[in-house]
Amino acid sequence: MPSYTLTVNSVKKTVSVDADTPLLWVLRDELGLTGTKYGCGKGLCGACTVQYKGNAVRSCTLTVDSVLEGNITTIEGLSEGQNHPVQQAWMELDVPQCGYCQSGQIISAATLLSKNPNPTEEEINAGMAGNICRCGTYTRIREAVQLAASKLDE
Amino acid sequence: MKNTLKRRNFIKLTVSASGALIAGVHLQSCMPKKPLAEVHQFSPLIKIDTDGWISLIAKNPEIGQGVKTALPMILAEELGANWNKVEVVQADYDTIYDEQWAGGSYAIILNWDLMRTAGAMVRQVLIEAASKKMNLPVEEFITKNSKVFHTKSNKTLPFEELIAEASQIPLPEEVEFKPTDSFEIVGKNIPQVDLDKLVSGGAEFAIDIKLPEMVYATVLKNPVFEGGVSSYDDADARLVNGVIDIIELNNAAYGGRLLGPNSPNFVNGVAVIANSTWASFKGAKKLKVVWDNSNSRKENTTELFERFHAQLPNTSIERKDGDIAKAKRSAASSFEAIYEVPFLAHATMEPMNCTVDFRDDLCEVWAPTQNPEALQEGLIKLFGLKPEQIKIHLPRIGGAFGRRYYVDYAMDTAILSKKIGKPVKLTWTREEDIRHDWYRPGSVQKISASLDKEGMVTGWQHILANASRKTSLGREGGPAGTEIDEYDFPAGLVPNLQLEYGHVLSDVPLGQWRAVAASANAFPVHCFLDELAFLNKMDSIDYFLKFLGPKRMVPVVGDYEFDVERLITVVEKVRQMSGWDTPLPKGQGRGFAARKGAGSFIAEVVTVRVDENEKTKILRVDAVVDCGIVVNPSGAKAQVEGGILEGLCAALYGEITIKDGAAEQSNFHDYKWMRMGEVPGIHIEFIKNELPPRGLGEPPLPPAIPALANAIYAATGKRIRKLPIVK
Ligand code: FES
Ligand code: FES
Repeated sequence: MPSYTLTVNSVKKTVSVDADTPLLWVLRDELGLTGTKYGCGKGLCGACTVQYKGNAVRSCTLTVDSVLEGNITTIEGLSEGQNHPVQQAWMELDVPQCGYCQSGQIISAATLLSKNPNPTEEEINAGMAGNICRCGTYTRIREAVQLAASKLDE
Repeated sequence: MKNTLKRRNFIKLTVSASGALIAGVHLQSCMPKKPLAEVHQFSPLIKIDTDGWISLIAKNPEIGQGVKTALPMILAEELGANWNKVEVVQADYDTIYDEQWAGGSYAIILNWDLMRTAGAMVRQVLIEAASKKMNLPVEEFITKNSKVFHTKSNKTLPFEELIAEASQIPLPEEVEFKPTDSFEIVGKNIPQVDLDKLVSGGAEFAIDIKLPEMVYATVLKNPVFEGGVSSYDDADARLVNGVIDIIELNNAAYGGRLLGPNSPNFVNGVAVIANSTWASFKGAKKLKVVWDNSNSRKENTTELFERFHAQLPNTSIERKDGDIAKAKRSAASSFEAIYEVPFLAHATMEPMNCTVDFRDDLCEVWAPTQNPEALQEGLIKLFGLKPEQIKIHLPRIGGAFGRRYYVDYAMDTAILSKKIGKPVKLTWTREEDIRHDWYRPGSVQKISASLDKEGMVTGWQHILANASRKTSLGREGGPAGTEIDEYDFPAGLVPNLQLEYGHVLSDVPLGQWRAVAASANAFPVHCFLDELAFLNKMDSIDYFLKFLGPKRMVPVVGDYEFDVERLITVVEKVRQMSGWDTPLPKGQGRGFAARKGAGSFIAEVVTVRVDENEKTKILRVDAVVDCGIVVNPSGAKAQVEGGILEGLCAALYGEITIKDGAAEQSNFHDYKWMRMGEVPGIHIEFIKNELPPRGLGEPPLPPAIPALANAIYAATGKRIRKLPIVK
């Protein structure tokens, strides 16, 4: 099997997998970063969202050989000790229910705010449209994104 | 409030090797109506460590309903623990915990008294120990912040310093609950346990389990219900890098159906074993399977619903009050309507998966299950194991909604692990997950009412026809279940009432879906009442209140009665909160529904806007809930938010259609789920009272569906009698 060197949470990691292996499964099965979740495998649900080169991407649809150039940030690498404003806001509002979608939601929200620190409600809806929450935590997510934005303002 | 226990051996206190005080609670003796088990077992619910930390056991599986936080909160409250120094430990499945299934909104209902009794008992022992030590009367002590507190002198003794004395105290026979107005934990917004892990990827779900030597697997099942494998060619699959083995799974080899009512064939397919999940998925795609569909009825949705319609005149009577024929003869007018509700999938965010290490006659399971009891039973039947050969862990679960009441995926995994002699993690693809669900039954429902001169109901007949999730051996026959129950709304409110069930046999695997029958039956009932209001030129809420009649207790079945006043209160409150009586711009409308469920009462108003292209936008939802004491407002509100959104989403989009004996949907592109932009603001209020807490996981869901349909009518004048609303 070919081997690939990726930068995950600013650390270089080398894995031996087939070229068509989605980043999702490299993270989960090879690197043990199981915070990134499998939900659909087709780019439909957002559970697998990670940051690549600062953009929110669906790791289930990106093959390992296409993500070799930049840093990949997973939920585990978003901050030290949950101190990212988005994580803080999430905890303040007790957002998760089952929690399974939340890594993807948080990465999407953090990415949205990194590009647009003061999103309108419409912009939040658009920025978060790729993430499904089956439990229905949407209203709290919307509030938490606004709260995180206000934290960034301070 | 006193709770007298006639059973002396209710708890057992022991001191562990490390010096911690462990309170083992005999759970069954806290349940007054339950016969005592022959073997006395004590479940170690409370552990007070020498460093002052307290470990509390969460005995039920956490599926996102917040039970891992709420039940320990009740224990901590009565104990007088400092919540900031409480560690919650998830229990494994063990008969010492008595019932550990999660479902039916029962967690709080079944455990409220139990957790209070256990916590209070240990509190009393600690107080007695302190009273002995300080030589002061027990009446002068309370507990607070993990300390025994002498109210007259303000002297305190931390729990951990009382361990030795406490373990010597004879156990009390009577416990006294704390007055509810002195609660310091229950009733507060307590952030859920695991929150820090949930926001940083550190919470371990079943699908995240990794064991030494573990291999990965997936299953390709015959998409046709009741179908099997005729033959398969695995040459290409075996060429995939990382594929280790291909194993055919055949239900018949394991004695056919094992898993209770309407159990589908749970293993007919081909499994791919590999050294990674991805390799197993890839291998499965390369399999060339010739399916055997000779056993299938090759059903499709249209034909199934035709059979449901045809069954309407041919029913069994589930409840009969008064005489509906007589009511009809003396009626001033009558009205009837027929409704259709579709099959639904659960589509839990975490797809079905399981990890099993089955070696040397020991079967260790990490299962995302709501129903460890059924899992153990299945393993016993399937492999002839003894209970002590089975160990079931209950990891955190990425949503359940009733799907994980069934344990088919865990059976697959156990079979594979035993076969290859290694730990196996089986992951279903989303496609398998949606095609092999235990679907919420679709149905046809007809309601007929006799009305008096004022348009009020004197006779009510509700007929439901479908294939039932309760029918044992679904396709072969066997005793028919029913999907309409004798206690269904409005039983007890109408003098002449008949609830009837028409049973149809089908291959479609059926199961519990959040709110179970009410998820399907609230829609016709509350849309029908709305239709009656409009026929009568009355405001829908006015009509409903008149329909409920005066404040009183209404007997429903046996000793089950409900308090109409509580329902009226939530209705009046939601009317106010939603601005029900204020006009809306053209194209907008409000709809209403109110119900009782799991002992709780809930009223909802949905406001919508419908544009010229019939596109519906839900603008806001108002909900008022009376569930008695609210244990954890943050978690309780989450359940209401989630239930409402699930109801709205199902009403708008939810539908599984059947073609040639298989589900047509397979992933989130064709089994649509609501996204952020469609989600309205949700306003929720709880009625404050001191009544015992009741269920909340399910009750918010059913009323959302008719409330939405009624709102669309109010906006457009178009009645919705068939779901989903958006085709
Ligand atoms: S798993 Fe990648 S979008 Fe669903
Ligand atoms: S919290 Fe369960 S899917 Fe979002």
